[in-house]
Amino acid sequence: MTIAVAYKWAPEAQEASVDAAGRVDFSRAKDKISDYDAVAIQVGRRLADATGQALVGVTVSGPQAGQPVATKAALARGLDSVLVLAEEGLDRIGPSATASLLAGLVRQLDDVSLVLAGDSSTDVGARMTATLLAGRLGWACLTDVEQLDWSGSDWSITRTQTWGVETFKVTGPAVLALSPTAAAVKAPGMKDILAAGKKPVRPVALTDLGLERPDQGETRATARLTGPSRQGVVIDVSDPDAAAAVLVAALRQSGLLVEGSQE
Amino acid sequence: MTVSYVIAAGHAQVGDLVATARILSERVIGLVVGPETVARQVAQAGLDQVLWLGQPGQSALEAFAPAVAEIVRAQPGHVLAGRRSADRVLLGAAAAAIDALLVVGPTELAAEGDLTLVTAPVNGGLALSTVAFSGPLACLLDGGPVPDGPAGPIQSASGPLAEIGLVSLQPAASQTVDVAAAPRVVGIGGGLKSAQDLGLVEALAQSLNAALGCSRPVAEGLGWLPKERYIGLSGAHIAPQLYVAVGISGQLQHMAGCRQSETIVAINIDPEAPIMAQADYVLPGDLYQIVPALTRALA
Repeated sequence: MTIAVAYKWAPEAQEASVDAAGRVDFSRAKDKISDYDAVAIQVGRRLADATGQALVGVTVSGPQAGQPVATKAALARGLDSVLVLAEEGLDRIGPSATASLLAGLVRQLDDVSLVLAGDSSTDVGARMTATLLAGRLGWACLTDVEQLDWSGSDWSITRTQTWGVETFKVTGPAVLALSPTAAAVKAPGMKDILAAGKKPVRPVALTDLGLERPDQGETRATARLTGPSRQGVVIDVSDPDAAAAVLVAALRQSGLLVEGSQE
Repeated sequence: MTVSYVIAAGHAQVGDLVATARILSERVIGLVVGPETVARQVAQAGLDQVLWLGQPGQSALEAFAPAVAEIVRAQPGHVLAGRRSADRVLLGAAAAAIDALLVVGPTELAAEGDLTLVTAPVNGGLALSTVAFSGPLACLLDGGPVPDGPAGPIQSASGPLAEIGLVSLQPAASQTVDVAAAPRVVGIGGGLKSAQDLGLVEALAQSLNAALGCSRPVAEGLGWLPKERYIGLSGAHIAPQLYVAVGISGQLQHMAGCRQSETIVAINIDPEAPIMAQADYVLPGDLYQIVPALTRALA
């Protein structure tokens, strides 16, 4: 049996830039295993050890995801092996396409009991890849999973929603998106990094999966996403109380201060 | 597409979904999971048909994903859903069933022959992109309240269910704050030195009658606030009347979540912090002095 973890070798959005035409440039952003996916791998490692299963990473992205620096970074976090679809242009595909290709990779594995995923990607942020992947596989899916354990006969899954804390059990194969709070992520140690270099990496091509490059439509235009124009009023804070009075007066004049409580 | 589906899982917040679906298709069908009262509320939203799939009982709302996928597969169309957990799972199942293209928060939709032109934020709100697509769309967007209208008919429907058994539900001790819906929000970032200092910004939020939100590290790295309070690219997207950003530098991924705020106040000790160039009122100073002063001024 196998537990799979869908992970992404992706840039950090905070290092992106957007030009005047609205083109998002990640070229100066450093790629990494996102914090979200690191949680999924760490939870997967614990469960794989507890249930005697293999822990296999699956990933879809551009050629950089197949480089040793990328695969070692994933393996050092605790995966036993990785299945990598890394081809030109696949780093710019959206969640729909990513999920369909991830499903192709999962189908390459034998006896998968669970697919784990991070809550979100750091560069797209749609929080939909896990749900789309579950749809492709026809498996049960839950998101925001905070606690996950094997009871001996089923998976016990706990999560917090606005109405309370829910605990579910799932027997069949499932795709679960883990909350960032599901594990405190530990950085890989030197032993983990050295061991990663000896673990199997299996490159897979689109043609191996019998899949075509998914249709993502034709991009006709891009633009900067701007909010309302800003006043940019700088308030002198040399006297904090005077600064506060100036701000409160301005907010009150704009009708932004009202009575009542939200918390 | 001649038909669009609006998904409602356990709630009736579909007003904006229906309005968007009307742009895409002449015929709009509601797919409702949850109590019958929810189906009745959704039926007031001006839909052509409401299919009520039932309530989960000792299961999860997400168990209905295969049933929703089966209905949509039988007659493909655009699919729209809100951002809650179960909505996203049902949307994912429906989208996968018909090879729909996921679009998050579309701002403009138009037909061009057999194509749909859709303009939507990309990369979690870093920029806008307009795409022409020939197939069905899966739109994830804020649901919006149901307008008062005459109740339409409700028809029961069924389909295969996923096996997700509810073991227990421990009701929430207190009401969860929805920062995305709050008219005023105070956000706290890395400028706060310690979790013990949260009281400072909580007092300010109380004085402003505001919800308390935060930057990503405060929720997901430090864990000082629940993750649903995180404002940013992969967190809550807010558009309040007033957003007071305290000790938040204003990196691109945070601004993607708060850029649509009507008025932004920035309090930051670094006058060169990116948020200072994107605010209406800029207070370049120590939050530990300014926040208590502001709280006093509001008392």
